[in-house]
Amino acid sequence: MDRRATLATLLGKSKNKSVQEDSFMPPASGLDPYTGPWGPEQAAHLLRRATFGPTIEHIRQATQDGLDGTVANLLADIPMPAPPLNYYYEDDPYCAVGESWVDKGYVQGDSNLGNIRTMRFRSMRAWTLDQMLKEGIHLREKMTLFWHNHFVTADEGEPMYTWNYINTLRENALGNVKELVKLVTVDAGMLRYLNGNQNRKNSPNENYARELFELFTIGKGPQVRFGDYTNYTEADIQSAAKVLTGFIVRFSNMYNEYYHDISEYIQSYHDTSTKTFSHRFNYATIDNADGEEYKLLVDMIFKKRECARFLCRKLYRYFVYYKITPDVEANVIEPMSQVLHGSGYNIKPALEALFKSQHFHDMLNVGPMIKNPFDFIFGPMRACYYADTIPSDLYDRYLQLRQAYDYQWKFNLMQMEYFRHPSVAGWKAYYQEPGFYRIWINSATLPPRRDIRKYFLYASSRGVPLTNVRLDVLKLVERMDNPFEPNQLIDDLVRLFMPQPISQSQKDYLKELLIPGLPDYEWTLEYNMYVSDPDDEDMKNAIDSKLRALLNGILEMPESFLS
Amino acid sequence: MKRRKFLQTSAAAAVGTPLMLNGMQLGVLPSTGFLKKIRPENDRAIVIIQMLGGNDGLNMVIPLDQYDNLANARGNIILPENAVLDLNGLTALHPAMTGLKEMYDNAKLTVVHSAGYPSQNRSHFRSTDIWTSASAADEFVSSGWLGRYFDTRFPGFPDAYPNVDVNSPIALTMSSLVSETCQGEASNFSLALTNPFSLSALNQGQDSEPPDTPYGDELRFLRQAIDQTNKYNDVITGAAKHGANTVTYPNTSLGNQLKNVALLISGGLATKVFVCSIGGFDTHANQVDTNDTTIGNHANLMRTLSDAIAAFQEDLYRQNLEERVIGMTFSEFGRQIRSNASNGTDHGTAAPMFLFGKCLSGGFVGENPEIAPDVAVQEGVPMQNDFRNIYGSLLMDWFEVEEDEVKSLIFDDFEYMPILDPCTQPGKYAGKAPVDAFELNVFPNPVVDNAEILFESEDERVRITLIDGMGAEVSVVMDGKLYAGTHRVPIETSRFPRGNYYVRVQLEGRQQTKLFVKL
Repeated sequence: MDRRATLATLLGKSKNKSVQEDSFMPPASGLDPYTGPWGPEQAAHLLRRATFGPTIEHIRQATQDGLDGTVANLLADIPMPAPPLNYYYEDDPYCAVGESWVDKGYVQGDSNLGNIRTMRFRSMRAWTLDQMLKEGIHLREKMTLFWHNHFVTADEGEPMYTWNYINTLRENALGNVKELVKLVTVDAGMLRYLNGNQNRKNSPNENYARELFELFTIGKGPQVRFGDYTNYTEADIQSAAKVLTGFIVRFSNMYNEYYHDISEYIQSYHDTSTKTFSHRFNYATIDNADGEEYKLLVDMIFKKRECARFLCRKLYRYFVYYKITPDVEANVIEPMSQVLHGSGYNIKPALEALFKSQHFHDMLNVGPMIKNPFDFIFGPMRACYYADTIPSDLYDRYLQLRQAYDYQWKFNLMQMEYFRHPSVAGWKAYYQEPGFYRIWINSATLPPRRDIRKYFLYASSRGVPLTNVRLDVLKLVERMDNPFEPNQLIDDLVRLFMPQPISQSQKDYLKELLIPGLPDYEWTLEYNMYVSDPDDEDMKNAIDSKLRALLNGILEMPESFLS
Repeated sequence: MKRRKFLQTSAAAAVGTPLMLNGMQLGVLPSTGFLKKIRPENDRAIVIIQMLGGNDGLNMVIPLDQYDNLANARGNIILPENAVLDLNGLTALHPAMTGLKEMYDNAKLTVVHSAGYPSQNRSHFRSTDIWTSASAADEFVSSGWLGRYFDTRFPGFPDAYPNVDVNSPIALTMSSLVSETCQGEASNFSLALTNPFSLSALNQGQDSEPPDTPYGDELRFLRQAIDQTNKYNDVITGAAKHGANTVTYPNTSLGNQLKNVALLISGGLATKVFVCSIGGFDTHANQVDTNDTTIGNHANLMRTLSDAIAAFQEDLYRQNLEERVIGMTFSEFGRQIRSNASNGTDHGTAAPMFLFGKCLSGGFVGENPEIAPDVAVQEGVPMQNDFRNIYGSLLMDWFEVEEDEVKSLIFDDFEYMPILDPCTQPGKYAGKAPVDAFELNVFPNPVVDNAEILFESEDERVRITLIDGMGAEVSVVMDGKLYAGTHRVPIETSRFPRGNYYVRVQLEGRQQTKLFVKL
């Protein structure tokens, strides 16, 4: 039954106009290399999507390096960051303050484990925010978040394997997808999250096997008959669950005398029978291969071209736009999946093709992505050099980052947190028809978006501004090309935070926030006075408050919710 | 029977006569004269509680007459027979559900047995989509069942809303995510609300006409979302301030959601649908405590659900609001009959739904599921009641939607189920009798190749299907009119693998399933 047509009949002549209007489709351009102009607008578009938001200097740099150079920078091999540290907790006997805790196990049954774990989680949250704030022109953090949303786990109360899991994602963020799936399959946190640790020969638990097909590798096609989802069947889930039997998570002496939860293969729990798959896998069989058998399963699934298409669609929705039309499927997803499959599932060539493509830079793809809460607030923080302006002292730095991240649960209210997904499918904005990105926005999530913006611009305690928390707007503005000229200042800030130009009346509104009722040259004069005597606190505060009002005005306009 | 025929005739006569009342278009003319006096925009509300993750219905509503076979299949998680809350000698509730037991005794709880749909999909996400959209298992529909209904009643939304006639939010989700159930063809009818007191105006920025591009489209959406949030602020905070709660609610997320619902209804909000949710039902492991199956994760969920609903109903009762509200629970699927070795259960098929409120028939819709003596891994409870019949019947009896329109909104094979009671308001389908079950037999049973299905029907439409242990509809035996009388319908099963199967017979407004074993 065509329900849409039925509905149109029911609605009769009063058919909702926006039914027809809501049909703007992404452009038909494809994966061919982009050959158009390259300037600050194009550079800003690329950096807004590939990082958590550019600084003025990033845009300048990318403009200079060109598209090829910038994509090369985004995909370059860079060293792993130093791991998170114990930043204050003196009662962790296994890890001194100032040391990293990620390889420090515990004595079994330590009565203080609860506090030690709490401290380590705090450290990890602060550290994770730090990585996102201070990363330069590089794709790793954004791809780590992509994989985190792809292979969802919850923290399950143990920081050490949460660390191992997220570290695996970060190490392989720009690596080989197939190998990453293998690592994740036997990851201790994942085994626990999807009950792989309880999957035994005589009592299979098919939870992980189901998600391995549906969410992690090939995706679910239409149900063509009962139990047959085009790409795999219910019987395949049962066979895969058998392949995956035998892994447990246990407290083990990985680090000499100290203990740590690790995954382990127990042969007697493993189903050694030959597993047979359906016609969807050409009746493939997998013979017993003990603790290595799961790799054969992953290899079998990845032989299917559909895996590459499924992953490319997810990447597309993460980096480009949520609507995948037949044109996009044919001209972007298909060739991109050829690149991914052809490279043996190395992720870099596929991303390179996407970021350099005509389609990615098509003007119609600039701006229709509603920023997720991270992009929404980390963008301004990065643009104001937050990572540089907060203390470098170990304790103060971690504390401030932790407080910034935990601020009144705003991220929770905005529906996005690291290590806390709503379900194993990840954030709805990246898969739920028909709303997609629009799911981020509603009457419950809009007020916390407003509150967190105000917090970082106007935080104060008992009337005293919390300058350590507030964004440093002066630092942002003094790095701009010409902060003396108010019109150019506004244009450049708009380009930094908004994907498309705004109207003259909107610019006039913003200028009223900067210099209410005054001619342009007054700003030039005032800003000159500040620059010539930066130690004049009164002058500095006056300039600061005007710029703060301007930035607040820009960031509360819905145009700046878009990327 | 006569009543239904009359309705079909009168509805057919009324098609194509749209009525404008208070500036609002009615899709179809009401079928009986006296209804014209009733405000089309009645002040009734539905409260939907979504149990996220797939609820283990067999440990929530326990079929006592199947206890031995159930104990066979799920010995490590089954609830002790002497601990469950016996409802009528045949069926019991989880021991933690004392509040719902009391509501059952007062005819404020109806248990819908084995609700599901043909050929159950066991993906959380796909099955949730099916339950929220009311689509068939093999049909993709991106709008929600209530969203489509709202599309017909509030055309053009959100343009020109709120207005003088409709000043309350049409639907509210009591969390930070809008509900897919209320997704219309063009926009979502639900506003998300976490704290009814914490709203304040949002700045929309300066206006300029967004371009006709994907960018402009999203910008228009953002402006509208901000605008809507601002416009409904006053009415929501006003209702919250005027409203009251008269009981102490359990301090759980669901308790607080329902507390806010009662507060807003009490304060005069005319919102038609409230969507609440409670998570944690995906109990693959540690569903029960190892030493005592009456405690553990699932028991906590059962208590949370029962205590919150009971407090809510008591609150409505004390404020004389019971006749305005009907409630419904659902979960994306039930769980498998066999438990796993982790004291948990994996994704299954059908499960019971609860309907709660004063305006109910009470009791049961359908009968206990039949549990086979020998249950294979992956077998679920077969569907008895198609959930879309429950949805559609609520639309008819609660929101006064015509049956033909329900068919186009929900599905063509819709069968009306008399699940509501008129209360004191003159409802459209007042005074109907509770549903009688009917005898259904398969002979011989077990079946080698051939057997006969035996049952009686009125002069009515009969649909007979065969369902396997996984919930797959493996055969449609017949679908058509039969004359009143006793029927013997032959079936041929030689091509089926051996195992447990069910015959399902759907009559007009009644259905029955019967287990048979294929050798």
